Amino acid sequence: MSAYNTIAFKPEHCDGCNACMTACATAKAGSADIINSRIQIVADGDSFELAMCRQCGDPKCVANCPAAALSKDDADGVIEWDGSKCVNCLLCTVGCAFGGIVYNAAAGHVVKCDSCGGDPACVKACERGALTYLTTANIYNEVGDLEDLFVPGLAGCQGCNTELIMRHTMRRIGPDTVLATPPGCIPGMGSVGYNGLTGTKVPVFHPLLTNTASMLTGVKRHYKRQGREVNAVALAGDGGASDVGFQSLSGAAERGEQILFICVDNEGYMNTGMQRSSCTPFGAWTSTTPVGERGAGKTQDAKNMPLLMMMHNCEYVATASTAFMEDLYDKLDKAIAASKRGFAYLHIYSPCTTGWRFPSQENIEVARKAVEANFVMLWEFNPRDGLKLTRDVDNALSIDEYLMALGKYRHLSGDQVAHIQATVEKNVGFIKGLAEGRHPAMAQAMSGRA
Amino acid sequence: MSAVLKPKPKAIVCDGNEAAAWAVTLARVDMVAVYPITPQSSLVEYLAKFVADGKLNAEIVDVEGEHSVLSVLHGGVLAGARAYTGTCGPGLAFMFEPYLRTPGLRMPMVMSIVTRDTLTPQSVWGGHQDAMSVREVGWIQMYCETVQEVLDTTILAYKVAEHRDVMLPVNVCHDGNYLSYGAARVELPTQEEVDAFLPPPSTNWHAALDPSRPMAIDPLTGGAGGPGPSLFVRYRKGQCAGMQNALAVIEQAHEDWARIVGRRHAPLVESYRMDDAEVALVTLGSMTGAAKDAVDEARDRGQRVGLVKVKTYRPFPVQAVAKALSGVKAVGVVDRSVSFGWNCGPLYQDVIGALQFAAQRPAAMSFIGGLAGADITTDHFGRAIERVQALAKDGQVGETVWLNEKD
Repeated sequence: MSAYNTIAFKPEHCDGCNACMTACATAKAGSADIINSRIQIVADGDSFELAMCRQCGDPKCVANCPAAALSKDDADGVIEWDGSKCVNCLLCTVGCAFGGIVYNAAAGHVVKCDSCGGDPACVKACERGALTYLTTANIYNEVGDLEDLFVPGLAGCQGCNTELIMRHTMRRIGPDTVLATPPGCIPGMGSVGYNGLTGTKVPVFHPLLTNTASMLTGVKRHYKRQGREVNAVALAGDGGASDVGFQSLSGAAERGEQILFICVDNEGYMNTGMQRSSCTPFGAWTSTTPVGERGAGKTQDAKNMPLLMMMHNCEYVATASTAFMEDLYDKLDKAIAASKRGFAYLHIYSPCTTGWRFPSQENIEVARKAVEANFVMLWEFNPRDGLKLTRDVDNALSIDEYLMALGKYRHLSGDQVAHIQATVEKNVGFIKGLAEGRHPAMAQAMSGRA
Repeated sequence: MSAVLKPKPKAIVCDGNEAAAWAVTLARVDMVAVYPITPQSSLVEYLAKFVADGKLNAEIVDVEGEHSVLSVLHGGVLAGARAYTGTCGPGLAFMFEPYLRTPGLRMPMVMSIVTRDTLTPQSVWGGHQDAMSVREVGWIQMYCETVQEVLDTTILAYKVAEHRDVMLPVNVCHDGNYLSYGAARVELPTQEEVDAFLPPPSTNWHAALDPSRPMAIDPLTGGAGGPGPSLFVRYRKGQCAGMQNALAVIEQAHEDWARIVGRRHAPLVESYRMDDAEVALVTLGSMTGAAKDAVDEARDRGQRVGLVKVKTYRPFPVQAVAKALSGVKAVGVVDRSVSFGWNCGPLYQDVIGALQFAAQRPAAMSFIGGLAGADITTDHFGRAIERVQALAKDGQVGETVWLNEKD
């Protein structure tokens, strides 16, 4: 699947001025009457919602059309309507969940957004920045304008997403930072360095695998005492966070130290040779849970680190995935802000091409499938609003589709797959329950307010 | 000469743990990290109270264990803080990982070891086994005899640690129970005196985590190729040089302290009634008081007995020990811990090593006493003196003597 340019809407910036609709109606129908606009901003309580064609990857309107009047253009991703074929049955409007294709009385047929050929009038009319035209490049370029705080040529494995996480997060966080990279893939790539050479442009250090959060505590506290604003940031692997480093992490979270702790979860000790960690999922092959006559991968479920951190009532906790970079950036911004008030914990899933055994070019796709199958859930938490899903997957991909993409699961028996499926369902139920406030005792405990 | 009389120093009665807390306060420490453990606990309680009362203007970090105690201070020192903590026994064992790393990163800080015997058998009482177990890690170690010496040495230790020729962490060892809880009259130096003695903190000029001076702290170093081997040797040799430099710096710091505060402690070793001594005891820490009494009693009987107290144990003052003991016929070294590998006391091992450099090499034997809070009384020392006198006559170095074996 390719990525296409798209019109993005940020309701928090919208004041309902209708300028976008006026511009669209003018451009497309030659009239300022917003009834003719192909973008509709709809009031939803105190906020606004966008009704417009999403140029879906798997468009229901196209599937519903019996006359082949709708088709997706592979080049630019826009769904095109062909008036010469349309039979005006309106089945396309039934298929669309976004109000993206509707019957227009003045025109006498359905109308939909065509992105104005890549120069949308609505975006130009929006003065508040609620509408932006996101090109596939500028998602990255926006961050790319910021200085890359690592040198070129970090020695990650081919296709490694952790390098992407490192570069993009540190760009966002900026140079007034002290960065801790405990032993693992991240310093293994040369971020701290070797024999006098370093890969990082900000102060960086190897903590022990055990004491990342404690060393950052000392750094941050002393700068606070001096009245200096310095970000204290960890880029740690799941082993150092969830196993031997968990005590110091828990201690710092409990004390509310002003630290941003990013756990880059590749589900094991991948730098050391792909051994099991407590974040390794059930059934996974690792070099210490090998597959043989009597062994069939890990026999326990993964520890749910982000939930454990949430129960510390941190200022901010979120999960993120490299397949959803905008979501990741949004959470990173919130985490940076939260770390100036208290402890912020970001758990980013980072598939490991080497240790999980899949072709290096499929990394983002594997990350996406994990989310689409609900194997990884994207959510965020703060003590005031509780837990909120940031990507609610309703029609989840079959777990098989995710598991079978990875060599580390290739040996799984039907029973093992059933166990994983059941664990995913249980987890989805639990997290969604938290999001919907269906666990009042949990919600109360979470809030820390009796 | 000025005719103005120096005001009488302020005297308080306190135990060793409170004395250490006063020293931390007077040394204007920036950061203390604390976790309680017997017999250190009242020390961190005093620190917390001093902070709560506004006496001690330090960032106090109450962490979840000793491993984090030292780790927090690592962060603090790399950001430029003057840092302090105290621990002992199992706490010291738990913080071993960052403890091991502290001198290699050349982090000047001070940590009291309120000495305690180690597990197992389960014990919460004094003994030197904890501090002795970490004697080869690269921290400077100084042992105190009195509560006053605890206070003075804890301040002195910062001058040593932060000296540019040293840049190493210092353990000030004061004996659990005897010094931690034993109250004595203590003279408090004034803040002006301490300020005149101790310059402002200078802890991270060489290695800093500071966005205004970006650098990588502790990259991989060594390996078999490229610049690795020689670079690693340079770090290690530098660390050893810092340790050796400390000997002169410790002497100078004690001299400066005597000049400003008017109180003099022996910096490396103290020779007590050694002028014409034929036999000598060698001691460490608070046992020295009783040992000096036993020496006095022997002298009263006309016996030529002296004592050498080791104050600075790491770096070991080889020349000073060799010089102090050169000329006696026999030496008895009294340890409050054991060397499992040699079936004797660890100080004994050091002393017989140093005696290789003595002009006249006396016979020496090992005594072990005071384990897990046991008393070493003047009677024990009296018996030790008799045994050493026998050694002086026959030159027969016997088995290690366990002083409390038949108590």
